[in-house]
Amino acid sequence: MTDPRPAELDIAPARLSPWRNLSFVWLVPILALAVSLGVAWKAYSERGVLIEITFQNASGVTPGETTIRYRDVAIGTVEEVGFTADLSHVVVSARIDKDVAPYLDESTEFWVVRPQVSTRGISGLSTVLSGVYIEGAWDESIGTARLSFPGLEAPPLVQPGRGGKRITLRTTDGTMLSDGAPVFFRGIEVGRIERPRLTVSGDSILADAFVEAPHDRRLTTATRFWDTSGFAVSFGASGLTLDVESLASLVAGGVEFDDIYEGGEPIGPGHVFDIFAEEADARRSLFARSVANAVSVSVPFDDTISGLSPGAAVEYGGLEVGEVSAISAEVTETEFGPEVRLLANLAIEPSLLGLPRSAGKDETLDFLEAAVAQGLRARLATANLFSAALIVELVTLDDPPAATFERNAEPLPVLPSVPSELPDFTATAEGVLERINALPIEDLLQQVIATLASVEDLARAESTLAVPQSAAALLEDTRALVNDEATKALPGELRAAVADLRAMVAELKESGAVEDLATAIERASAAADSIATASAEVPALVDDLRAVAAKVNGLEAEELMASATRVLDSADALIGTDEARALPPALTGALEEVRTALSELRAGGAVENTNATLASARDAAAAVAEAAASLPELSARLERLVGQAEALVAAYGDRSEFNADTLAALREVRSAARAVAQLARTIERNPNALIMGR
Amino acid sequence: MENPGRTREILTARRAGLVGCSRCGRVHAPGAGTCLRCGSRLASRDRLSLQRVWAWLAAGIVVYIPANIYPMLLTTQFGKTSENTIVGGVIDLVEHHAYGIALIVFTASVLIPIGKFIAIAYLALSVKSAVMIRGHGRQRLYEVVEFVGRWSMIDVFVVAILAALVQFDFVAAVNPGIAAVSFALSVAFTMLSAQSFDPKTIWDAYEADDT
Repeated sequence: MTDPRPAELDIAPARLSPWRNLSFVWLVPILALAVSLGVAWKAYSERGVLIEITFQNASGVTPGETTIRYRDVAIGTVEEVGFTADLSHVVVSARIDKDVAPYLDESTEFWVVRPQVSTRGISGLSTVLSGVYIEGAWDESIGTARLSFPGLEAPPLVQPGRGGKRITLRTTDGTMLSDGAPVFFRGIEVGRIERPRLTVSGDSILADAFVEAPHDRRLTTATRFWDTSGFAVSFGASGLTLDVESLASLVAGGVEFDDIYEGGEPIGPGHVFDIFAEEADARRSLFARSVANAVSVSVPFDDTISGLSPGAAVEYGGLEVGEVSAISAEVTETEFGPEVRLLANLAIEPSLLGLPRSAGKDETLDFLEAAVAQGLRARLATANLFSAALIVELVTLDDPPAATFERNAEPLPVLPSVPSELPDFTATAEGVLERINALPIEDLLQQVIATLASVEDLARAESTLAVPQSAAALLEDTRALVNDEATKALPGELRAAVADLRAMVAELKESGAVEDLATAIERASAAADSIATASAEVPALVDDLRAVAAKVNGLEAEELMASATRVLDSADALIGTDEARALPPALTGALEEVRTALSELRAGGAVENTNATLASARDAAAAVAEAAASLPELSARLERLVGQAEALVAAYGDRSEFNADTLAALREVRSAARAVAQLARTIERNPNALIMGR
Repeated sequence: MENPGRTREILTARRAGLVGCSRCGRVHAPGAGTCLRCGSRLASRDRLSLQRVWAWLAAGIVVYIPANIYPMLLTTQFGKTSENTIVGGVIDLVEHHAYGIALIVFTASVLIPIGKFIAIAYLALSVKSAVMIRGHGRQRLYEVVEFVGRWSMIDVFVVAILAALVQFDFVAAVNPGIAAVSFALSVAFTMLSAQSFDPKTIWDAYEADDT
């Protein structure tokens, strides 16, 4: 065996091309590189769009952690929190998913969701643990993409893209409207109110409200809104009612709406609705005025406007056409130095003036301009007899002081005014006389005549034939009294006196001697008081008569004749007394004196006679008072007569003809008494009326 | 260190004109395709060895980049999700004064992988050109790299275990990020790279010096 010789090993490497020599393992790094690059490219290409949101402050917003959410799905993350150049705002830079970025357009709103406790409940509770996040909202359409957005400090009332209708509510009292107050439809919350704001003129408050779909279909021109804030306590036939709409509306306020009639027209967005104070008001408002189209004008008043308040009516020929919206003072420069003018702003509703419903401001101002040229003026008037409240009256005067409608005045067109006739004393005096003239004296006398006619009929009745002859004589006397010239002449005299007095007043207006006249008027007032006292006794008389009627059932036939005789004797005595006969002539005499005085006054004509004239007037008034003073006496006698008649009637049996006749007679007497009572009441109720004229 | 002169006295299989099986060590006559004992493929010197080293190394480095850029851990606590990269996690640990853990993580996730890249690259380069460390030193370096490589997986294990254990929905949850996968791949690729290296080539240079 030989040692195994190692064979020569050809160790020369084959000269192969470097490409053929390549190991397949090289595929691995290439693949890894490709995958890595692919992942990197994917990450880069899917990298979101960087947007900027500006907030007042960024409390709780943390870079890298705070997410941007849309419908509670995270669509991005805050990358950086910085400031604007002037440090006035915080700029939050956030990266938003590419898919949603195109939707971020004009409609986009961002706000920070934080835990919030309000009257509407607790929201954002989840952010207590997870930290705040930024919520975004936008509509479903792709608009012009933006990269910079102003952020909201609070969640928006209406998120973009939600169906519904935005309307505007108008009111004059903003206390019931608060930001976010609910809008109810039949007790169901269907919308919210945004932050209320004042109008430019400051006389009303506007608040935008959003009513969600599908409830926004309920909004038509027939819709009325009313205030449901707070609670209402009412006491009526149904007892005590406490009405609380909801706890939320109790605290935050709220409005409710409903269609108050069928067939309202659909409304467009931004329609303006007035808010009524109560549901009842809203439902009544169907034909009521709306201030929606009201045209404002201002009226300067020279006299005091105390008693005029905003809300007071503006009347035109007695018809309410608007209201006083505001009262203010204005300083104007005159040649005598600055002068304060009192201004009242009137809101006039064109449709109530009779202008077409479509009439706008211009048409209304055209109308007013023409009307002013024809004598239309504003003036103050009392709202009614018993209150000091004033209203503004639009009156057309025959001969108005020259004035023009200052259409282009700032801030409001100016409607000229005339001095009110309120403080004018002569006007009041005239009113007094008109009152006296209107007193139902004539009616009273007619009643008396009718009464006596009844009594005559009674006396002629068969059942009273047995009554002694004196009854007939009595009735004759009675008739004589009634037919007395003086009595008949009384109304005519009065009228003449009134006419004369009026004439005198007209003259007094010129002479202006008001003070003396005041004394005269006081006298007249005293006279009126006497009449009132006299009349006060009349109701007692009526009561007695009633008592007589009540006693008709108790019969005592035996006493009939005697009682009848007594009654008729008494009546005879009464009518026969000088006083009774003298009364009408006394009145006539008084009136004669007045007339004489007045004719003297007129004859004298001028101021130098005024004092004498007024003295005469005073005397005349005193005479009237005197005559009136005898009225109670007459009344007392009448009462006595009735007392006896009562006994007489008591003696009669029921169903007797005399009884029936007597009852008829008494009925007449009663209605006569009623007429007297009516007169008394007229005077009693408004003693002012005699003096004040209204 | 060994005396380089003594190496000349060693008779290598190649010098003896034989081919040694790299798995069981049996020598065969040149030209034999497969080992007669264990059946593995025979080659005196794998011509593609270096290529494979470089290729795996390149792959390892490529995937090591995303492993460091992308988050390793997605930690969710009370709805807030935070993402941690490897280095970010180490910084977090340092900030929480957990220096020991920070050191372990830093060593296992940064020092060792990068050291491995450098070591393997050095070994691969040393085959072809003159280097400072002699053969025995390089042999030991190779052994260390092969031994230590697997321990880099400790990071991946931690992530896997955390992700499996910490799943409490809203309160706390841990999920692996992309970096966990890339890091695991990077470790695997560098291990393959180290394995592809034929330590015999360390000594060939000395053989070449003799001839």
